[in-house]
Amino acid sequence: MRYSQTLIEHFRNPRNAGMMRDPDGVGESEYAECMDLARVFLRVRGGRIEEARFQTYGCGPTIAASSAATELIRGRSVEELTELAEASVEDAVGGLPADRVHAAQVVTAAIRAAARDAVARAGRQAPVPGE
Amino acid sequence: MNRRVYLDHNASTPVHPEVLEAMLPYFSERYGNPSSIHSFGRAAREGMDVARERVASFLQVGKDEIVFTSGGTESDNMAIKGVAAARGRGHIVTSAVEHHAVLRTCSALEAQGFTVTVLPVDGYGMVDPDDVRRAIRPDTILVTIMHANSEVGTIQPVGAIGRITRERGIPFHVDGVQTFGKIPVDLDALGIDLFSFSSHKIYGPKGAAGLYIRKGTKMVSVQHGGEHERRRRAGTENVPGVVGLGKAVEVRARDMAEEAPRVRALRDRLWEGLQARVPEVRLNGHLAERLPGTCNVCFRHIESESIVLGLDLKGIGVSAGSACTAGNVEPSHVLVAMGVPLDWAMGTVRCSLGRSTTAEDIDYVLDSVEPLAGKLRSLSPLKG
Repeated sequence: MRYSQTLIEHFRNPRNAGMMRDPDGVGESEYAECMDLARVFLRVRGGRIEEARFQTYGCGPTIAASSAATELIRGRSVEELTELAEASVEDAVGGLPADRVHAAQVVTAAIRAAARDAVARAGRQAPVPGE
Repeated sequence: MNRRVYLDHNASTPVHPEVLEAMLPYFSERYGNPSSIHSFGRAAREGMDVARERVASFLQVGKDEIVFTSGGTESDNMAIKGVAAARGRGHIVTSAVEHHAVLRTCSALEAQGFTVTVLPVDGYGMVDPDDVRRAIRPDTILVTIMHANSEVGTIQPVGAIGRITRERGIPFHVDGVQTFGKIPVDLDALGIDLFSFSSHKIYGPKGAAGLYIRKGTKMVSVQHGGEHERRRRAGTENVPGVVGLGKAVEVRARDMAEEAPRVRALRDRLWEGLQARVPEVRLNGHLAERLPGTCNVCFRHIESESIVLGLDLKGIGVSAGSACTAGNVEPSHVLVAMGVPLDWAMGTVRCSLGRSTTAEDIDYVLDSVEPLAGKLRSLSPLKG
């Protein structure tokens, strides 16, 4: 098998799959070359990820990377996730073959976008100083 | 341990036990070079002669019209480049759904100054013989159209095309790799001058194949060296492989007529089951004019490779209709030529059945596909 046991496990039993009602942040990323599409939903409490969910269209590695990444980011700070490294998602799924690294790229980009969205929404909701 | 179900017979097949048995002596006992005149060489030559006799008799052609090669790709190259080299210049007619061994050979000749017309196909993947007639020009030197498509299984109207090429005196090459040994082929009646065939699609070994060259067809050798194969294909012959090919043909001649309807019924059981149990599926290829064992299906909003991987984890081998290489997915050129919409084409899976496929295998595949397709769709942001 060319894929890691971790990857296969996440593909077989994806964690945190499906959409989320009233998320605090949503991000999407498309990898045009292979038409993979990942969407990530975040629930944030006290600046940290309480829950992350995903919807993904793509090959097995992209689905597995989505699942692994939603586990990876739980408890992390939203600010930190705006600069999440692709390598950490790749590690979380047990590594990727050279021709499948796009799986980590598309998932990482969706998480960063969701984190930026969460930061922006939080900023809008924060009380304006002096009021 | 999962059940194991192989549904990729259009890619390759297991060597038939009778074929393996026929080949084995040619590795260890009859190992001579068939070009050698001593008894060791003669023993190998005898094996080649029997194989040639079997293939020629199966195709109802002369023994000296058969050239053994290393594979279908070599046969296609030999036919197309051989005719082109004999003429030096000219125009070639082919179709958009040919195997890459034909399309890329034509492109290579185009780069050398030949001109090529690539004919379109209809929604079933079929070439219109009238398009062939219209494409032919005074300088047309070759028409090359496949017999059946390896991906969708559509059988081309080669008889109608052969009548046109024969009328015009133009050599007609047919890549018959997917039909040879699966359905009856009458080269004379179909007007075929060059016919590529292979061994490993019909329970023979890999690395053995052949090209039928009708006597009188003007072509030159594209591989130079010794005097092998009547100076048409230089290089020491793959004797065990050719012996295996000969035996495989003998077995097919015996079993083909009985097997085809059985495999066709299983193929239809698979498609009917998919239609009944999985929403948003569509069949690619011609409904009637199709290889008995080929079932090419699109699952909308699911990516091919995730279905292939999911089925692989259940011990089922099928092939993806869209190939992802280095993170770049391209739907197959065959589906594109047929006009299959992209959101369907990306989720294409080919199941190709064979002699060992059983009704239980098909039911196991259906039991596996149904929840897998449901799960993958539930993950997809494209649906719901």
